[in-house]
Amino acid sequence: MTARLSKELFQKLSNIVGDKYITSEPLATYVYTQDASVFGGTEAGIIIRPGSTEEVSQILSLANQRRIPVVIRGGGASIYGQPKGVPKKNILLDMTRMNRILEINPESMTVTAQCGIIMGKLQHPCRQAGFYLFCPFAPLQIVSLGGWISGAAGGGGIWRDIVSMTVVLPDGTVVKTGGGPGSNVRQKLSYNRVLGGPDFTGLFIGDGGSFGVKTEATVRLTRFPEVIRASIFEFSKLEKVLEVIKRHVACVDPHPFNPIMVFGSGAMRNFMPDLGDSDSFVVMGMMQGHSAQEMDAKLDTFNALGEALEGQRNPALDAMAATMAASSSSESETMMDWLSFFNALGLACWLPFTLPREGFAENYRKLIAWRQKRLEETERRGYRWNGTFEFFTPSDQSTIIGEIDVFFQNTSTPEMFAFVRTTMQEFQEYSHEIGSIDVYNQGVMSYINGRFWSPGFRQLFQTVKSALDPNLILNPDLWMSEQKDTKRK
Amino acid sequence: MGKQEMKNLSLVSHFIYNCRKCGLCGSKFTARVPYVCPVKESTGGFEHSTARGKIILAQGLLEGAIRPSRELAEIIYTCTLCGNCQIQCGSIDNSTGLPLVDTTQVIEAMRADLLRDHPELVDQAYQAMFNSTRQYDNPWGLPRTVKERWAKGLSLKDVRKEPHEVLLFTGCTIPSNPALGGRARKAALILQKAGVDFAVLGKNEPCCGSVQKRVGAFDLAQEMKEKNIALLNSLGSSTIITLCAGCYHTLKNDYQAGETPLKPEVYHFVEFVSQLVKKEKLAFTKKNSLTVTYHDPCHLGRMMKVFDPPREILKALPGITLVERAASRENTICCGAGGGMRLFGGGILAEEIGKAAVQAARDAGAEAVVTACPFCELNLDAAARQLGFPLAVYDITDLVSEWSGIEE
Repeated sequence: MTARLSKELFQKLSNIVGDKYITSEPLATYVYTQDASVFGGTEAGIIIRPGSTEEVSQILSLANQRRIPVVIRGGGASIYGQPKGVPKKNILLDMTRMNRILEINPESMTVTAQCGIIMGKLQHPCRQAGFYLFCPFAPLQIVSLGGWISGAAGGGGIWRDIVSMTVVLPDGTVVKTGGGPGSNVRQKLSYNRVLGGPDFTGLFIGDGGSFGVKTEATVRLTRFPEVIRASIFEFSKLEKVLEVIKRHVACVDPHPFNPIMVFGSGAMRNFMPDLGDSDSFVVMGMMQGHSAQEMDAKLDTFNALGEALEGQRNPALDAMAATMAASSSSESETMMDWLSFFNALGLACWLPFTLPREGFAENYRKLIAWRQKRLEETERRGYRWNGTFEFFTPSDQSTIIGEIDVFFQNTSTPEMFAFVRTTMQEFQEYSHEIGSIDVYNQGVMSYINGRFWSPGFRQLFQTVKSALDPNLILNPDLWMSEQKDTKRK
Repeated sequence: MGKQEMKNLSLVSHFIYNCRKCGLCGSKFTARVPYVCPVKESTGGFEHSTARGKIILAQGLLEGAIRPSRELAEIIYTCTLCGNCQIQCGSIDNSTGLPLVDTTQVIEAMRADLLRDHPELVDQAYQAMFNSTRQYDNPWGLPRTVKERWAKGLSLKDVRKEPHEVLLFTGCTIPSNPALGGRARKAALILQKAGVDFAVLGKNEPCCGSVQKRVGAFDLAQEMKEKNIALLNSLGSSTIITLCAGCYHTLKNDYQAGETPLKPEVYHFVEFVSQLVKKEKLAFTKKNSLTVTYHDPCHLGRMMKVFDPPREILKALPGITLVERAASRENTICCGAGGGMRLFGGGILAEEIGKAAVQAARDAGAEAVVTACPFCELNLDAAARQLGFPLAVYDITDLVSEWSGIEE
């Protein structure tokens, strides 16, 4: 038993969750210092795997009375690390035991689940019931629902589909948001985001877990798209690509069923090693829906757009589009897991951005130029990199999200890990300088996002935070730390 | 904290640094993968129970961030080495086609280093097994004669004295365990009935070293391997048939790598019998209605890709209906007995894991579970009894024997 937190506290917490689901063993706490990111977290004093909202409520109530910091972990899938809290003093809540689906409501077209569930496990029964849970570009098999809502939901459009949540506030109070039982005690269904009061659901989306612990969420479903069409064009000029996007989003909502995905030449070489030295952009339009006639019409429209803007066809890419169209209606596509693909590319230096569509071309070129300088530095240092991955997509009519990642050769050298950490962090500082506001509200990114807040925004945050968490126990360092996580080497 | 030598772990360090710690090995879910890690599912589910957690500990050991301890040994030995994490990880080196992260090799290496440098930290049940291996050439503390008792009255060829084509390699567990019901005897009678020219080693049959290697006794296992290859190559057998999935994996995989490989072809009994069935060397005279599911032993299925032959046999048995559990073939959830887990902590966790496999069989509508590994059979049977399920557990040899009309 560690001396970091008292035996008496441990016993009280153990009484809440049961002996099986609490540990303070140093090796157990050591393992939790790492996750999918190169940043990781800090060592907790106690780790608990709660099984219900009630248990979370009792834990937070006790922690709040004792002023003990609490940090939250879902699937351990962050790319910018975990909240640090106070090392060796934290209670870490591993939420993944709360992984039950509570209801799939075909009439309301919603699913309600505990927030520790991994998205892949949530998606599967929805698909079985004929529905689709929209969560684009997430590594579905490792991200928890709560982690997704807290950390990244702002970027891909899923925020629109989150109807309500059950949240345990830092003092242990349990609240329900959204139009439903929260705003009308006679109502049993959570069926609408904003009814009968302010949009408190939105308050907890993208909060990084600062304002409360999400234990349950109700998310809107869409009918599974049975008909898929895909088309791919190559463009040599970025401006042409952006013109395709501009005309496309003027006509259709780009998500969830009509995405345009743009791949840079480095990215395409990972799929097609024989691509050669082409520097073109590959633009893929997907049309997903319920009627072949409608999808064919959309395909014709997209093809006409591509041809009007002088996009080039490539037989290999046509074959790829045909394959995607044929396979996309299967479960494997909806459960599509890019993880194994990316894992095989090497040590990932993720370089994501979220920028306004307006002025995107100039900013994108700046980001690519920044990366080029860093790649030159990489070579000077003798570090080997396997490839790059450039990708962007309009997440709505006015926003483009993307990444220009670099994959390094796997290594045991601590200096190289530090170099990757530094590169990721400095890229974010640079991209924020040119106006990027990234979606990953987690770990190091929260500090960077927080540093760019306006004074009014910061005051608003602090007002809400101190009202909900006056003792600052919940993820206490998130957003507010000014420290740099790594030192440039 | 100073770095440990970690000789064996250093040799597989590339697997550790290839791991991206994404957690797929602990969280993947599909229609065919209800969960990945049986240990995580049957314990408190903390991260150190998963492959990601164990890889993090391995890296900590290599880099000197943690030191060997009894707690570490307990974590490292709480793994069935079933390899499902590796399958579900799916990261492949595109240039070689090999896995980028071989979790079982990493865990075996950690066990080997602990056993070599800190044997006092490891469960003493394993030491007893090593002593038995040295004294009796089997891990179970029984005299060598147990390997010949089963053949009493069968007039089988002695492999060292008579020309033969096939060596029937029974392994240590089947002849040693009364609960396995004369399995070796049934196998021999099946081969006799099919007219196979085979012989046995009897009390001179050595232990293959599978269990010893899995729990980390690398030096002992290597010693056994070298001695056994020399013996088995000298016998004049063209083929070796194993009854145990662990022996099969060891002979076919481990023994055929290295400078002096094993020469005879190695088959598991299910592979050989499925060929006999196809060649119509075996006739099934009995017809009995029974719905069964097949449990793929990890050493036979996931690790050696022998999925179809046992199913082909079952489909050839009149009256048998084969149903599949949600997780089957390469996604099969381990029975719980792998990796030395039945010895560890009294086998309690092994049986807990086995209960899930039994429950899944029941959910699939099976009246019986059929397998092809003595460890799976024992553990699944124990789990079924604990659950109080009226679910029979058979080795496939039992069914082939009965359906062939073999009577004793």
